[in-house]
Amino acid sequence: MSEKKIKVKVFRFDPRVDKEPRYQIYEVPLIDGMTVLDVLDYIYENIDPSLAYYSHAACRHGVCGGCTLLVNGKTCLACQTPVTGDIVVEPAVKFKVIRDLIYEVGQEVKQHEE
Amino acid sequence: MVSTLSRIVTTDVLVVGGGGAGLRAAIEAARKGVNVLLVSKGRAGWSGATLLAGADLTLDGRSLHEYGFPGAPNDTLEKWMNDIVTQGFYLNNQRLAEVYVRDAAKRVKELLDWGLKVFASEERAIETSGESIANVLLNRAKECGAEIINDVMVVDLLLSERRVAGALGLNLKTGETMVFRSKAVILATGGWHKAYDPNAGSRELSGDGIAAAYRAGANLANMEFITFCCNVIYWPPKWRGNIFLYILHSMAGGRILNSKGEDFLSKYDPVIVKYGTSTEWNKCFISIASALEIMEGKGSPHGGVYYEIGDIAWEEYEKRVISFYRNWRYKGIDFSELAKILKERVPVEVGPAAEYFEGGIVVDEDMKTNIPGLFAAGECTTGVFGANRVAAATTEMIVEGAIAGEKAAEYAKNVGMPEIEEKQIKKLEERIYGPLKRKEGVKPIELRRKIQRLAHEKLGPVRRRRDLEDFIQFLEQVRRRDLPRLCTISKNEKYNREWIEALELENIVILLEISAKSALMRTESRGVHYRIDHPYTDNDNWLKEIIVRRVGNEPVFTTRPITITRMSPPKGIKPYWEMMRMMMLSHSDVGGHH
Repeated sequence: MSEKKIKVKVFRFDPRVDKEPRYQIYEVPLIDGMTVLDVLDYIYENIDPSLAYYSHAACRHGVCGGCTLLVNGKTCLACQTPVTGDIVVEPAVKFKVIRDLIYEVGQEVKQHEE
Repeated sequence: MVSTLSRIVTTDVLVVGGGGAGLRAAIEAARKGVNVLLVSKGRAGWSGATLLAGADLTLDGRSLHEYGFPGAPNDTLEKWMNDIVTQGFYLNNQRLAEVYVRDAAKRVKELLDWGLKVFASEERAIETSGESIANVLLNRAKECGAEIINDVMVVDLLLSERRVAGALGLNLKTGETMVFRSKAVILATGGWHKAYDPNAGSRELSGDGIAAAYRAGANLANMEFITFCCNVIYWPPKWRGNIFLYILHSMAGGRILNSKGEDFLSKYDPVIVKYGTSTEWNKCFISIASALEIMEGKGSPHGGVYYEIGDIAWEEYEKRVISFYRNWRYKGIDFSELAKILKERVPVEVGPAAEYFEGGIVVDEDMKTNIPGLFAAGECTTGVFGANRVAAATTEMIVEGAIAGEKAAEYAKNVGMPEIEEKQIKKLEERIYGPLKRKEGVKPIELRRKIQRLAHEKLGPVRRRRDLEDFIQFLEQVRRRDLPRLCTISKNEKYNREWIEALELENIVILLEISAKSALMRTESRGVHYRIDHPYTDNDNWLKEIIVRRVGNEPVFTTRPITITRMSPPKGIKPYWEMMRMMMLSHSDVGGHH
C-alpha cells in the first residue's frame, strides 16, 4: 500500500533555554480521517516524545477547548480539525508560551456547546 | 530545587478531582463554612468522565413526576432499590444503594434549580449533557468560594500519625511538586480507563486516587467488576473509543453482526435480548456476547464486531437521530460522515470498551474510608451498583459528592491541622523525579501500549483462568522490574507527557494487577464479570466482596459478606444466563432504560 506522507511544521520553544522559537519539521504518514491531534499524537508516540502539546486531559470530543491551537494560521480545535496535507502548527497564544504548544490559559476556557 | 516546605498550600478540605463528584463535594464543603481547595488533573469542569457522559441523570419516577415531568407516578423508592440490587446481581452494598435511592431526587432537583439544561425525560431519568452538568457544578463551586487549581496531578496522599495530612501533587506545566496540607481529603478521581485501549473515558483517567488510597492503606473492593460499554467505535481511528453508535443503537435501533454476518444476539434467550437491548442492561449483555464472538474468531479486522442500521428505513432512522443530534452533531463532533456510511448500510467496527468501574475505594454511608480524614466519592468508590451498573453514575457522583463534602467539612471542624512529615515528601519526590533522572531504562510509551493491548485481550468482559494467570505474571514482573526503571527520553520538567505517563503507569499497573487477581479469585460469573470457565452464578459461595489492602509492597486479598439491609439474596448455583434472565425479570413495573 502506498503511504502518503505529510510535512508537519511545529512551533518549538522553551523560554527557559531558547532565545527564540524555532520550527521543527516532522514527516507523518497520512491516515484517512486523521485530525491535527492525531498527527501530534503520532509524532509524540513514534517520532519525538519531547513535543509538548495539551494532551494529558484533552477530551477529543470538541468540548473542552484544551487542544485549541493555530493550524495554518487559523485558531481551531486540534481534535476536530481534519488533516489533508502539509500543516503548520503553532500555539494559540504565542506570547504566553510555557513550552512548545503549551501556553498559559486563564480561567476563560471557551465554551463549545452546541 | 526550592525547599519543599516553603511551597506548602494549606486548606481545611482538599478535594482531588475536577469532575462532577469533586465539584459537588467542593460545593457542599464550602457551604459548611470551611476552606476548600479543589485540585484537578485537567481543567476542573472541563475534563474527566463527567464532560463525556451522554448524559442522563437517574432518580425515582415519582419524584420526577412531582417535578413536573411525566416520570412514573407509580414508582417508589422500594421499587427502585429492588431494581438496582437485582441489576447488581445482589452484590450491592445495600446501605449505599439506599443512600443513592434516597438522595438522588433532591440532588437532581438542585441541579435543575441551578440551571441544568434538560433535553428530554423518561420514567426514571432526565436527559441532559455532560457539558451542562459540569458547567452548572463548576459555576456553583466558584460561587461558593471553593478555590480551584488546574493541571495538577495528585501523586500520593500524605499521612501523619495514622490520619490523612494532605497530598503531594505535581504541577504538570511547571514540573514542580506542590504540597497540600489539609485536615481532610476527598478523593473524586473517577476510574482507570487508561489501562485500556480502546476505552470510553477521557485521557487522564488513570485511577490516581484509587491507587493513592491503596498505597496509603485504604481498602479497595470489587475491583474485578468493570462495565464495558458495547458498540463503542473501534475503527476508523479518529472515532476510536467514541460511544455515539452505542447511543444510536439504543435510541434508533440497528443490528450487531459478527464477521459471518450473523445477528449473534438472536442466539440468546428472548427475555435477555429484550432487556439487554432496550435498557441499559445492554452494556453488560452485548459486551459479553460480542466478546464471546470475538474470542471464537468471528470478530472484525480490528478486533470488534459490526454495527449497521439493519432493515429500518433510512429516513426513519435519521429522523430519530437528528431529533437529538441536530446535523449529526454529537458534543463537538460532526458525525455527518458517519451518517453517509450508515446510510450506505456499510457496517462499522464496534466493540466493548472500558466505561465504568464498579470497584474502587471502600466507603461507608458517610463516604468515609478506613483512614481517618480520608473520604471518597463517585466512580472511584465501590458498593452502590454491585456487580453491574444500570442506573446512572452521574447521579452517584452528585449524591456521594454532597455527602463527602458535608462529612469532610464536619470532620475538619473538629480536628487540628496535621503536621507534614518532610521525610515522606522527600521519599515521594525521589519516586516522582526518578524517570527524569534515570539515564536509561524502560520507555513509558512502549510499556503503556503493551499493557493496554494485554488488558484488552486478557481482562475484557469475558475472562478465563489461563489468560488471567498470564496477565498477572506479566503485571507482577512489570511492577517489580519495569516500574522502578521507567525513564523518559526528554528530561524537560515542563509539561513532559512521557513523565506524566510514567507516573500514571504506577497506578495503572497496580490496579490492573488487583483487578486481574480478584477476577481470578472469583470463580463464578456475576454481573459484568463473566468467567467462561465458571459460567454460573454461585450464590452459595460468592455472595461476598473481594477486599484488597496493601501489606508491605504486596496486595493482600480477603472477602467480606455482602451488606444487606432489606433484600435477601437468592440461593443456589445458577447458570449465568439463567441468573441474568432472572435478574432482568425481577424488575419492577416501571419502564424506561433503567
